[in-house]
Amino acid sequence: MNYIVPVLLIAVLVYGLIKKVNVYDSFVLGAKQSFDLSLSVFPYLAAMFIMVNCLHESGLDTHIIRFIYPPFQLVGVPCEVVQLMLLRPFSGSGSLALLTDVYSQYGVDSYVGRCASVIMGSSETVFYVASVYFAGTKVKRTGMAIPIALFCNLLGGVAACLLCRIM
Amino acid sequence: MNIVWTIITVSAIVALTYINPQSVLTVCLDSSSQALKTALELTAVYCLWLGLFKVAEECRLVEKLSKLLKPLNKKLYGNISAAAANYVSLNLASNMLGIGNAATPSAISAIKEMEHDTVLSRAGAMLFVVNATSVQLVPTTVIGLRASMGSASPADILLPNLLSTFITSVVGIALVFVAYGKPKEKQLI
Repeated sequence: MNYIVPVLLIAVLVYGLIKKVNVYDSFVLGAKQSFDLSLSVFPYLAAMFIMVNCLHESGLDTHIIRFIYPPFQLVGVPCEVVQLMLLRPFSGSGSLALLTDVYSQYGVDSYVGRCASVIMGSSETVFYVASVYFAGTKVKRTGMAIPIALFCNLLGGVAACLLCRIM
Repeated sequence: MNIVWTIITVSAIVALTYINPQSVLTVCLDSSSQALKTALELTAVYCLWLGLFKVAEECRLVEKLSKLLKPLNKKLYGNISAAAANYVSLNLASNMLGIGNAATPSAISAIKEMEHDTVLSRAGAMLFVVNATSVQLVPTTVIGLRASMGSASPADILLPNLLSTFITSVVGIALVFVAYGKPKEKQLI
């Protein structure tokens, strides 16, 4: 696995050389776009981080979790894992911090630890991805895209807990 | 998004003001500098991948990849422009190779190529769902963290992770088909 990126880099650059492409010029030309891209993403990220951090600092998030927890309890999903599932769509670094907490509190190889690992690995920061993807476009109405992605993340989380129980 | 964001933010700020009024400004400013930091980090990552993509494009590697993935792309996205098909193929390839931070810039370029309206198209929704559900086959970050926290077998989660990702991808793609129908044969571009 460690070789994928280096091999890819070498292969593309050498292939460009063989095909007599101006590799340096093309690379710089492509790289130039990165600033525009992240500049258009920035305000969306700021808005989202403000929302997430205010929610967390005010302690509202723990109340929300306590409110929605009962149905998850029925399927055997631990409370910390619900917290992770709720935070995951918004913040990658936040959920990684939470994952570390779960590891040190329950142990890496415990059921809860394994559950949290699978959820972290098989879900995505949906709102973050959405704001990054649609930042540079005119799209204002995303229709069913975000609900579908969120539902899948939720399903993946429940599936992770069940799978960790039998495996 | 307007309503959701406003309601959540306002209620969070109200609660925060009730608990600790001094912290409101600090939290907001910390958040926006966190956003700036993230955007700068993204610039660095995109710089590498967009540069490499440009090289691959110039030597017609992307075109070949796109041709190879054409049947799959057509099933998922319908008729999309050649440029969009190139980016979509790059995106799929990066996802399969597990290079998540190369998948993002190609997806953004594809979306820019496909979306010209205020309402998200079927192809755009599909691309979004594919990326939001089919994440790394090997979750390197999580495995690394497990190893560093002293796990007996850090890669123990590979199989359940693979299954769980597989389930979410299949269900996600199926739901897009349910919500938007099959891709139209002749889509206006």
